[in-house]
Amino acid sequence: MKVKVKLFALLRQFGPDEQTVELPEGTTIDDVVRSLKLPGTIRLLRIVNGEHRPADHVLKDGDDLALFPPIAGGWI
Amino acid sequence: MLSEQEMKRYTRQMMIEGWGEAGQKKLKNSTVFIAGAGGLGSPVSIYLAVAGIGNIRICDFDSPDWSNLNRQILHDQTRIGTNKAVSGKMTLERLNQDITVTAFTDKIVAENVDELVGNADIILDCMDNFPTRYLLNESARRKKIPLVYGSIWGIDGRLSFIHSPETPCLQCIFPEAPPKEVFPVLGATPAVIGSLQALETLKYLSGMGTTLKGQLLVWEGATTDFKKYKIRKDPDCPACGNGKN
Repeated sequence: MKVKVKLFALLRQFGPDEQTVELPEGTTIDDVVRSLKLPGTIRLLRIVNGEHRPADHVLKDGDDLALFPPIAGGWI
Repeated sequence: MLSEQEMKRYTRQMMIEGWGEAGQKKLKNSTVFIAGAGGLGSPVSIYLAVAGIGNIRICDFDSPDWSNLNRQILHDQTRIGTNKAVSGKMTLERLNQDITVTAFTDKIVAENVDELVGNADIILDCMDNFPTRYLLNESARRKKIPLVYGSIWGIDGRLSFIHSPETPCLQCIFPEAPPKEVFPVLGATPAVIGSLQALETLKYLSGMGTTLKGQLLVWEGATTDFKKYKIRKDPDCPACGNGKN
């Protein structure tokens, strides 16, 4: 199956802004995060087709996955 | 009651549909707690002050330095070394003498957060770090009041209206704090997100429009892209999960 993966903010140093990846059936969001070698130390915000999903969410063919790191700024 | 001067001062915003004199009186009787008088706290507090929020509680333990002045428009070079909450109060009172501004110079910690928030109707998160945001999130939940979350980085920003348990809490969205860092930022960035935080607050307090509850707004300045995403409660959330609702 094919899934479109979009990276935001600082994650863009780890891959293209947008890419379509070929994945086996049953792949979870966390599997994608690991396969793209994204930093696993901070839990990311994961959005599939515009909705917030947990790490163990199983992806489907044609899904649009967006990954966001937390950003802290505002005050310093 | 609004004075004759207040009727004149707020005449243009009372023309907005759903606002009117009734909405303006609600603002006059409202109290907000602004956590942080820096990049986000500057536009947030300025727009809430000139809109006529009756009581503003503003808190910051730090004082401005030269590297703050590209965005922290509550302060100027004559205020370097003055506490940011105190400097903020001076600026806000000059902009609107019909409101009350209280400055708190404390660092927000678990032991004082509820007392600092006091009788506020809403909390404005204008912080730069998640550990303090989590304290504000917990305080908002205990007091059953909303928290308007904003954060920025470079020319990107995020915004949400959090009113747990009706909505997911802040820690449902971002369960872990990113490392503390000195990050790039432009003055126009907190101006975008801070103005939207002020607007969410004014809508909630006046009863006009609908807030961003249950949604996260992501703004990308480089492409002028605004997107809204539906957010969900995390059953394992360290703040509100596992029956803590």
